[in-house]
Amino acid sequence: MKIILDHIMPFPLASIQHGSESIWGNYIELVPGKHILLNASSGKGKSTFTMTTIGLRRDYEGKLTYDGRNILTFSPDEWTKIRQEKVSVVYQDLQLFPNLTVAENLILKNKLTHVYTETELKEMLERLEIDNKWEQKCGLLSMGQQQRLAIVRAMCQPFEWLIMDEPYSHLDELNAKKCMQLIDKRCGEQNAGFVLTTLGDSHGYQYDQELKL
Amino acid sequence: MINKLLFKNQDKKQLIIAMVGAFMGITFLITSIHYLVKVNEFGKGADILGPNTIIVQKKVTNSSSLNLTKTDFSKNEINNMIAESFVKDVKPVISNNFDVSFQTDDPLVPYFRTDVFIQTVDANFLDVKTSKWHWKKGDKYVPLIMPREFLVMLNTFMSASGIPQVSDDLAMGIKFKFKLWNSEKQIEEKVDARIIGFTNEVSSLLVPESFMKYGNDIYSDGTEQKITQVMISGEESQFGLVEELLTKKGLESKNSQMMIGRLKSVVGTLILVVLGISIIAVFVSGLVLIQYMQLLMSRNLYEVRTLMRIGYHPKELIKSFFIYFVKIFGYVAGIGILIFFIFKFFLDKMFDEGGLYIDKGLTWQSLVILLISYVLFAVSSFKSAKKEIFKQY
Repeated sequence: MKIILDHIMPFPLASIQHGSESIWGNYIELVPGKHILLNASSGKGKSTFTMTTIGLRRDYEGKLTYDGRNILTFSPDEWTKIRQEKVSVVYQDLQLFPNLTVAENLILKNKLTHVYTETELKEMLERLEIDNKWEQKCGLLSMGQQQRLAIVRAMCQPFEWLIMDEPYSHLDELNAKKCMQLIDKRCGEQNAGFVLTTLGDSHGYQYDQELKL
Repeated sequence: MINKLLFKNQDKKQLIIAMVGAFMGITFLITSIHYLVKVNEFGKGADILGPNTIIVQKKVTNSSSLNLTKTDFSKNEINNMIAESFVKDVKPVISNNFDVSFQTDDPLVPYFRTDVFIQTVDANFLDVKTSKWHWKKGDKYVPLIMPREFLVMLNTFMSASGIPQVSDDLAMGIKFKFKLWNSEKQIEEKVDARIIGFTNEVSSLLVPESFMKYGNDIYSDGTEQKITQVMISGEESQFGLVEELLTKKGLESKNSQMMIGRLKSVVGTLILVVLGISIIAVFVSGLVLIQYMQLLMSRNLYEVRTLMRIGYHPKELIKSFFIYFVKIFGYVAGIGILIFFIFKFFLDKMFDEGGLYIDKGLTWQSLVILLISYVLFAVSSFKSAKKEIFKQY
């Protein structure tokens, strides 16, 4: 699924001077299967990019399309299908359910498309060293553990694009590397692309394209 | 799991208060509708006269005995009574203007003959099928409605003659005859007659209007027919006003008729008040439940929004809220019905002890009202859930 940002300018960012390479106000194509890095300092609109690209913010001018269709025309049925099967997201604020256990957070997502078995879910947690938290309430986990959980949850669906909004901000380098390996594997299995927003550091990841804000 | 997420961490106290209010409202609503219907049905079927119907005549005073005042009704007086808003209809009771006697004509029953006074009333005032209540010359028999006191008298006669007494049903099988005659014209005729019902409210034999007209046309002595009694049918629960009219116009009726009318009016009005309060209570408690749903949704905004962001369809969330609250109202309705049956048990007993023998069966109207309340609540909760969830989409 090709995503095009055709001269998108979010209203809150309209008064700021953007560089000539900025995605804001320019024509940007997100080509399927590509690994894209969006590197910018704080306050430049990384989260705005995420929320706009996945249709949660509509306060912009310009046109944003998925495979040529303006995303503002999608019905609730179409958005539900897109969120279940085409675009997976790791939100900056993680969007987990603190009153549910780790298992329940994953099962709640996984049961929409039944991508993994319970054993496979536990294996993914084990790779990120949080399998011992299976029965623990999510709200009791540290931020780093919650970030890892949010990444595993994002894996629990088929997708063509994985949009990640600063997913490693609370992770050490080793854990970030493990997460990246998991993401690489999953994207490779589906020939999916991803957009990774980071705060001024590429962490040494391999990417095909870098976007600027 | 969605239910656990959305409904587990709620303040149950508010829900319980809303539920208690709703089930109390529902209980009073069903109970008041049930007894309103029962009170209005009270007296129906017990007499062949229609409900809320009385026969009235002018009070006989010393001056009327001296022919100083009239005891008959003019057309104008009847029209004035019809014009009252609480009066459904007024029709004259027509009496025979000819000689008539009534006798048994059945080999199974001993011979019995008496001069009688016959009257006719409009068929609309009778609780009898109009197909039975007609007569034309050449018909097999004249249908008649007999005063119950006449049957008591007949049974006394039977008993004195050593013959078994007859029930209502058996009496309706006995063959009778009317003898009509005019001594001056030296004409007479016998016509077969059958009882089709009984009344406690009229002291004369009631016959169809066509038979009365036939008798008056052929056997009348020519004197002017006066209307000394009229039949008044009052609007439901407004019998007090009919009674007031009677006092104002100097009219009187049988005490029993007045009593039942008065009782029905008073009880009916009281129940109407309770019904009004119950409707308000159900409406308010329904609103409280809907408001509670909105409160629950506003407390779960994060959950609702996140569920949609991870791929849950808004319809699925609407369904969750809808089913949850429809179930709650189902429990409320169930408890309401249960409490109604307990109320009914004690109230029926209380009415019986007070001498008010109300039919013990259930009324479909109260169940229909419950169903309507349920459907209204279900529709409101669905619309409310839909509006709130799509607001977060």
